[in-house]
Amino acid sequence: MPQIVLGQLLNGAIVGTLYGILALGVTLTFSITGIVNFALGAFMMTGAYGTWYLTSVHGVPYGLAVPLATLGTAVIGLVADRALFRFTRNDLINGLLVSIGLIGVFDNVTLMIWTSTPHTIDVPVGGSVAVFGVYLPRMKLIVCAVLAAVVGATYFALRHTWAGRAAHSYAQAPEAAELMGVRTEFLQSSVFVYSTALAGLGGALYASLYSIDPTIGGPFVLKAIEGAILAGIGSVLGALIGGIILGVTESVGALFLPLSFGNAYGLVFLVLILLFRPNGLFAGRR
Amino acid sequence: MKCIRVLAAGLGLVAMSLGVSYAQETVPIGELEAQTGPLATYGWINHQGVRLAVEQINKAGGFEVAGKRYRLQLFAPDTRGNPQEALIELKQLLEQDHVQYVFGPFLSNVYDGVEAYATQNNGKFLMMGGATSMHAQLGKPGKDYLIRTWNWDGGPTGFGSAMVSYLKRKGVKRVAMLMQNDAAGKVLVDTYAKIFREQGIQLQVEMFEPGTKDFTAVLAKLAEKKPDYLFPGYADAVLYDIIRQATDSHLFTRFFLVRGSLAPCIKNKAAINDCIVYTPKYFKQAEKTEPKVKAFVAAYRAFYKRDFPYDVAPLCSSACYDHVHMLVAAMQKAGTVSDVAKVKAALMSMHYHGVWDISFHDNEEVFGFDVVDMHKGGAISVIHLDPRKPH
Repeated sequence: MPQIVLGQLLNGAIVGTLYGILALGVTLTFSITGIVNFALGAFMMTGAYGTWYLTSVHGVPYGLAVPLATLGTAVIGLVADRALFRFTRNDLINGLLVSIGLIGVFDNVTLMIWTSTPHTIDVPVGGSVAVFGVYLPRMKLIVCAVLAAVVGATYFALRHTWAGRAAHSYAQAPEAAELMGVRTEFLQSSVFVYSTALAGLGGALYASLYSIDPTIGGPFVLKAIEGAILAGIGSVLGALIGGIILGVTESVGALFLPLSFGNAYGLVFLVLILLFRPNGLFAGRR
Repeated sequence: MKCIRVLAAGLGLVAMSLGVSYAQETVPIGELEAQTGPLATYGWINHQGVRLAVEQINKAGGFEVAGKRYRLQLFAPDTRGNPQEALIELKQLLEQDHVQYVFGPFLSNVYDGVEAYATQNNGKFLMMGGATSMHAQLGKPGKDYLIRTWNWDGGPTGFGSAMVSYLKRKGVKRVAMLMQNDAAGKVLVDTYAKIFREQGIQLQVEMFEPGTKDFTAVLAKLAEKKPDYLFPGYADAVLYDIIRQATDSHLFTRFFLVRGSLAPCIKNKAAINDCIVYTPKYFKQAEKTEPKVKAFVAAYRAFYKRDFPYDVAPLCSSACYDHVHMLVAAMQKAGTVSDVAKVKAALMSMHYHGVWDISFHDNEEVFGFDVVDMHKGGAISVIHLDPRKPH
C-alpha cells in the first residue's frame, strides 16, 4: 500500500502542475485586469486541438507543434482582449459574462470544425521510469518539468524584471503605478495574452497525455480556479502549489474512496483550507 | 436557335428525371445515433453502413412492394449521445418526417431518454437499436415497437457468457472491471457480475464518472489485488486513455473487452500481453473467405473513397448495413411499407444471410461472432462462435 500511495502522490503532483499552469493564468489575469477569466479552459482546449491538428493532420513534429499551438492561442487571446476584454477591465460581472459567452463560441466552433469525437496523438516520448518501484510515464515527467519551469520563469520575471515589478506595483496600487509611468493598458493586455498563452501551453502538453474533445477545458478551469483560491489569489508559486495540492488530493482520494466522487475531494479540501485560512494558503505572498 | 434547342433538350431531360422520381414513392426511414461525441464509435460506423445501403438500394432503382416501386429517404440527425437532443430528434422524425422505421440508438442513455416518448407511439413505428438497456424492455406491454439488433451478453447463448468461458479456459481467477458510471455501465456491471459469479471468477468493480481522463489512481487501486485481466469501459474514447495509462504505468497488460473495438489494444500492442475482444466480425479474415463481406468492403471503399475502417467496422453489426436490406426484404415479404406490425412479423421470421448471418429470438437479434485474441507483440488469433449452435 505505501508504494501505491507514493505512486499517487507523484502522479497527483504531475497532474497538479496542469491545474497549476491554468491557476497561474487565473491569478495573473485577476490581479491585473480584475476579472476571472473562465474562458481560459477554452484557450486550453484551443492549444490542445492546435497541437493535435498540427501533429496528426499535418505531421508537424510535436516539439515544434507545442510552441506553434501556444503562439496561435496567444494570438487568439490578443484578438479576444482587443475585441472584448479591454471593455471589461476591473468589471468582474461583465468580465464573467464575456468569458462565459466566449466559452460557448470556442466550443461550438470546435464542434463545427472537428466534431465532438475525441482525438489522440501518438505519444512523442514513450516508456516509463521506475521511481521506488512506481512506474511513471516519461511523457508525464516531461510535461511536469516543462510546466514547473514555466511557472518558475514567470516567478523570476515578476520579481527581477522591470515589467514584473510594474505588474506588482499595478496590482497593489493601480493609480500610483500609472503616475510612475507604467503603461497600464499595455500591461493589462500583455498579462491577459500571457495568461492565454499559458493556457494554450497547458492544452498543448495535455494533448500528449490524454485524449482530447471540446469539453476538456471546463473541468480544468474550475480546478484551476479552485487551485488559485486555495493558494490565495495573486500568489504565483502558490498557484502551482495549489494545483499540485488539488491533483494530489484527487489522486490519493481515489485510492481510498470511489473515483465517481473524484471531483468532490478537491472541493472538500478547499473548504477545509478556507475555514482556517479564508484568504488562501499563500495570501499576501507573491 | 441551336442554343434554344439545347436548352429545350436539357429541360426535357430534367423534366423526365423529375417525372421518374415523382412516379416512385419514397419510404422515409430514420436513424437516431451519435455520429459525433465521446460515445460515437458505434453511431458513426452504423451511419456509414446505413447510408451505403440506402445509396445501393436507390441506385438499383429502389424496391418493389405489392406492385409499386419505392425509394428510401434517410433522415439521420446526430444525437451526439445526448438524450435531450435525441428526444427532440425522434419527435421530429416521427411527427414531421413521418418516419415509421428508426435505426438505433445504440447508446443506453439515449434509449432511456427517448423510451417514454417512444412507448407513447407504440404501434406507429419500429425502433431497431442495439442499446444494452433495451434488453430488459423487450416483449413488455407497450413495447411492440422495440427490436434489439445486437447479441445479448448473458444467458446460456449469450456472447458474454461465451467470452467469460474463454477466459476461464485460460485459467483466469480474478478480473477487475472499470466501468463508466452511467446507464450502460451499470447494466454491464450487473450482467457481468452474474456471469463471472456463475463461472467461478472473482470480480472487483470500480466506476468512474463520464469525462474522467486520468485513471492512474483507480488503476493502481484495482491492480493492488493482482487481478489477471482488466475489463475496462465500453467506448473507444475512454478505452484509449485507460489502456494507455494502464500499460504506461505497468499496472495492467491483459485486457478483456466486450464493447468498443480492437483499435485501442492495437495502438498499445507493444506493451500488451493479451487483449481479448468481442468482435462481431473480424473483417481482415472474413473478407478473404466470405464473398458478401468482400463485396461490402469493396462497396464501402468505392462509396466513401477512403480505406475501410477495419477496427470499428465490426460494430456495424447493430442497426447498420444489413438491417436496411433486411427491412426492405421484410417490407417485400409483408407486402406493405406502412403496416409496421406486418413488417415486424416478417422481420422476426427472417433468417437473413448478409454480411452477418442474422435471425431473431424474442425480439432480439442473434448472429455468429468472433472472439479476437491479440497476443504479445500483436499476433492475432480468432475463434468464431455462433450462439445458435452448441459450443
